[in-house]
Amino acid sequence: MSRSRRSLLENLERLKSWEGFLLVLLLVIIIGNSLNSPAYLSVNNWMNLFQLSIEKVIVALVMAFIIINAEIDLSVASMMGLSACTLGWFHEQGVPIGLAFLIGLMVGVLGGAFNGFWIAVVGLPSLVVTLAMLIGYRGLARVLLEDRSIGNFPNWFDALGQKSLIGPFPLALILFFAFVVIAIIILHYSGFGRYVYVIGNNREVARYSGVKVRRVKMSLFIASGTIAALAGLLFAARLGAVRGDVGLGFELDIITIVLLGGVSIFGGSGSLYGVLLSILIVLNLRNGMSLANITGHVQTGVIGVLLILSVLVPNMVSRAQDILNRHRLSRLQTASE
Amino acid sequence: MDNNAQQKPSPQLKKPILEMRRISKRFDMTQALDDVSLELNPGEIHALVGENGAGKSTLIKVVTGVHRPDQGEILLEGKPVHIHNSQEAQAYGIAAIYQEPMVYPDLSVAENIFISHRDRGPVMRWRKMYDDAEAILAKLDVKLDVRQPARGLTLAAQQAVEIAKAISLQVRILIMDEPTASLSAHEVTQLFRLVRSLRSQGVAILFIGHRLEEVLEISDRVTVLRDGKLISSRPRGEVTSEQVIRDMVGRQIDDFFAKGEAERGEMLMSVRGLNKEFAFSDINFDVNRGEVLGFAGLIGSRRTDVGLALFGVEPPDSGEIIFEGKEQDIRSAEQALQLGIAYVTEDRRLLGLAMPMSIISNISLPTLRKYLTRLGLLKQGDEFDTAEEYRHRLSIRTPSVRVEVDKLSGGNQQKVMLSKWLNAQPKLLILDEPTRGIDVGAKAEVHHMINDLAAQGLGIILISSDLPEVLAMSDRILVMREGKQMGVFEREEATQENIMTAAMGQNQAALEIQP
Repeated sequence: MSRSRRSLLENLERLKSWEGFLLVLLLVIIIGNSLNSPAYLSVNNWMNLFQLSIEKVIVALVMAFIIINAEIDLSVASMMGLSACTLGWFHEQGVPIGLAFLIGLMVGVLGGAFNGFWIAVVGLPSLVVTLAMLIGYRGLARVLLEDRSIGNFPNWFDALGQKSLIGPFPLALILFFAFVVIAIIILHYSGFGRYVYVIGNNREVARYSGVKVRRVKMSLFIASGTIAALAGLLFAARLGAVRGDVGLGFELDIITIVLLGGVSIFGGSGSLYGVLLSILIVLNLRNGMSLANITGHVQTGVIGVLLILSVLVPNMVSRAQDILNRHRLSRLQTASE
Repeated sequence: MDNNAQQKPSPQLKKPILEMRRISKRFDMTQALDDVSLELNPGEIHALVGENGAGKSTLIKVVTGVHRPDQGEILLEGKPVHIHNSQEAQAYGIAAIYQEPMVYPDLSVAENIFISHRDRGPVMRWRKMYDDAEAILAKLDVKLDVRQPARGLTLAAQQAVEIAKAISLQVRILIMDEPTASLSAHEVTQLFRLVRSLRSQGVAILFIGHRLEEVLEISDRVTVLRDGKLISSRPRGEVTSEQVIRDMVGRQIDDFFAKGEAERGEMLMSVRGLNKEFAFSDINFDVNRGEVLGFAGLIGSRRTDVGLALFGVEPPDSGEIIFEGKEQDIRSAEQALQLGIAYVTEDRRLLGLAMPMSIISNISLPTLRKYLTRLGLLKQGDEFDTAEEYRHRLSIRTPSVRVEVDKLSGGNQQKVMLSKWLNAQPKLLILDEPTRGIDVGAKAEVHHMINDLAAQGLGIILISSDLPEVLAMSDRILVMREGKQMGVFEREEATQENIMTAAMGQNQAALEIQP
C-alpha cells in the first residue's frame, strides 16, 4: 500500500514536472526577452506576437483533442487554404462577403465530416486519410484560384482581421481566448472530454464499455475541419488577400506546439494547460528572436530542437524511473525471500 | 501414484535422451511445477495431458530455456545441462512447435525452413537452399513447392514447414504444443503420419494434446499433470481414457466457497440456435434470475465468443436471443447495457480497464451519463462518491480512488472491473474468468460476491476454466468443445469426470442428459 502511494506521488510529480518545466522555460524566455529588448513588454508587441501566429494556435487547440484521441489531422493547413480560397472565389463571383464567409465555414464542416467518415466509420488510419486530404484540399484550393491572388475585400472585413475590436484586442485574439476557455471546459470537465481520453488510451476498452467511439471521433474531425476553416478565413481577413498557398506547411507548426505541450503522440495523455504554455513559449521565443534580429530559419531550427527535447526528456525520465523501480522491486523480492 | 511404470522402460528402447529430475518452478502465488520428473526416449511419442493451468506450458518453457527451474535438473543423454534461452535449446537439438505455426508469410517455404540457420556466409546460395529444402521435404514425404511463399499455405502445410525447419536443425527432441488444435480431421491424419515418420527416425517427441482420442491414438506413453504435479505416467497399452480423465480432474474443491441453494427465479434470457461463423454453432440455453450458469470447456472451446455475442460487441450471425420475454438483436455494448447485460472480460489489460486512468474514471465509464449535468459537464463529486462506495463494498485496497488502476494488484484491478459493471446495475452479468490470476483471498471474495448477486436475483453466466470453481459456483453447467455445445448438466449430475469427458470430446454421456 505504501508502495502504490509513493508511485501515485511520483506520477503526480512527473505530470506536474512537465508543465512545471514548461512554465519555468516560459519565464526564462520572458525574462530574457525583456532584458534584451525594451520594446518586448509593450502592449503593442504582445498583440503583435499573438497576431502573427493566431490562426495556428487556434487550430492547435483542436489538434490537442485529436492527438489525445490517438489520431492526427494533417489536413488542417490545407483546409485553411481551401476555406480562404473558397471565400476569395465567391467574392470574385460577386457573392456578398458575409455569405462567402459562411460558405467557407461550411466547406470546413463538410471537409471535416469527409475525413471523419473514412476514419471513424470506415476505420482507415487518420494518418493516411488526412495525408491524402492534405494534398486533396490544397489541390482544390489551387484549382479554385489557380495562380491568382484575390483581394479587395470590403473595408470592414479587413478591419476585423487587422484592427482591434475590444480594447487592444482584435477579433481573432478574442476568439482564441474564448476557445481556450471552452476547450478546457470540454476536455477537462465534460463527459465528452472523458471519452476523448479513454478512447485515446484504449479504444477497445471504450467500445466494450458502451462508448460511442465513432461518434466521438466523427465530432472531433468535424470540429477540426470547421475550426481550421475559420482560421483560414481569419487569416484571409488579416492579410486582406488570399492565394492558393495560404497556410502552406502550417500543420507541422501546429503539431509541434501540441507535442511540445506534453501531449503524447500515442494518445491518451496530455492537457490543454500544457498546450497553452507551449503556445506561449513558441510565440515568445519567436518574438524574442525576431527582436534580437535572428533570422526565421534559425528560429525554426531552435523550435525543432525544442520539439526533439520535448519527446526525449519525458522518455528518458520514465525510462530512468523504470530502471529505478526494477531495482527497488528486485531488492524487495530478495528481501522477502 | 503409478510411478513404478516409469522405471520399467520398454526393452527395445535405449537410455533416455532427455531426463527431467524433480523439477519445481514457482510464480508468485502459484506452484506451477512441483517435483516433476519425466523421461523422453528416442523414437518415442510421449503425450502430456492435463487441465488448463496444470503446468504443461511451464514444463515446455523449462525445456526450451524460457524459464529456469527453481529446483531440479535436466539431463541430456545422461549429462546435466543448463538451458538459458531458445538458441541454447536449439543447439542441444530441442525444438518446439506451437498451435499457431510461426512462419513468415512473405518468405518462401525454403527460406522459412532455414530461417534459424546461423552458418550462412555473406552470400545467399539459393540453389543449395532450395535443393536442401526439397531433400528434407522428400524425407518427410511432403509435397510442397519450396519456392512458393508461405502465405496461403494451409495450417497443416505450415506445420509441415515448421517440422521441416526442426529437422534442418538436426532436432532430437521435438515438443509439439497442441499442434492439432486448429486442424481439420484430414489434416490431423497428415500431421500424425509426419510425426510417426519422425519417430521412426529416432526423434523423441513430447506431444501436448487436448483431444483425448488423438492423444491415445498417437502416443507411446501418457503422462498426466495436475496442479503442477505429476499424477501418472503409463505406457499407452496400459491406459484407458477413463483413467486419464480421472487423473486429470482429481482436484480438491474444499477451499471453495460453494454456492448456496437459491431458488431459481423466472426466465431472464433464452438463447436458441446461436451461430457465428468460425466461432460457434447451435448454442441453446436458458438463464433464470438468481441462477449461475457455468460455462465449462478447455482453451479453444469458444466460450468467450458466446459471451461477446450476447454482449453485442461481436454479434452472432444467426440465432435468437430472448431477453425478459422480448426478442433482441444486440449489436453493440451500448445496446446490451441498456437492456441490462454486462460483460466482465477476461482480458483486463486490453479490453477491461483504461490502465493509466484513475479508479474513478474507470468505474463511472459505462454509466457516465448518470454523472453529467444537463450541459454535459462531469459531476466529479458524484463520481468520487460512487468509487468510494465500491471501494468499501468490494474492499478494493488502494490509498485513494484517484490512483491509476495500473498501480493496483491483479486482484484489486479485478474488483475495479467488477465495480464498473455492477454500477451499471445489470440484470444479467457475464463473468469471463473472473478469478484468473488473482490471489486466494481475492478469489474467495469474488466467489462470495457472485453468490450475493445471484441471491439478489441477477442471472449470472460464469465462464471459467477452473473446473472445481465452475462446479462449486454453478446451478447448471454448459460444456463447450471447439465451438459446439456438448451438453448442459444439472448441478446434481455434474461431476469433474463427466464435465471433463464432455470437454475432451467423449460426448455420449453428456448428450443423453441434455434437457
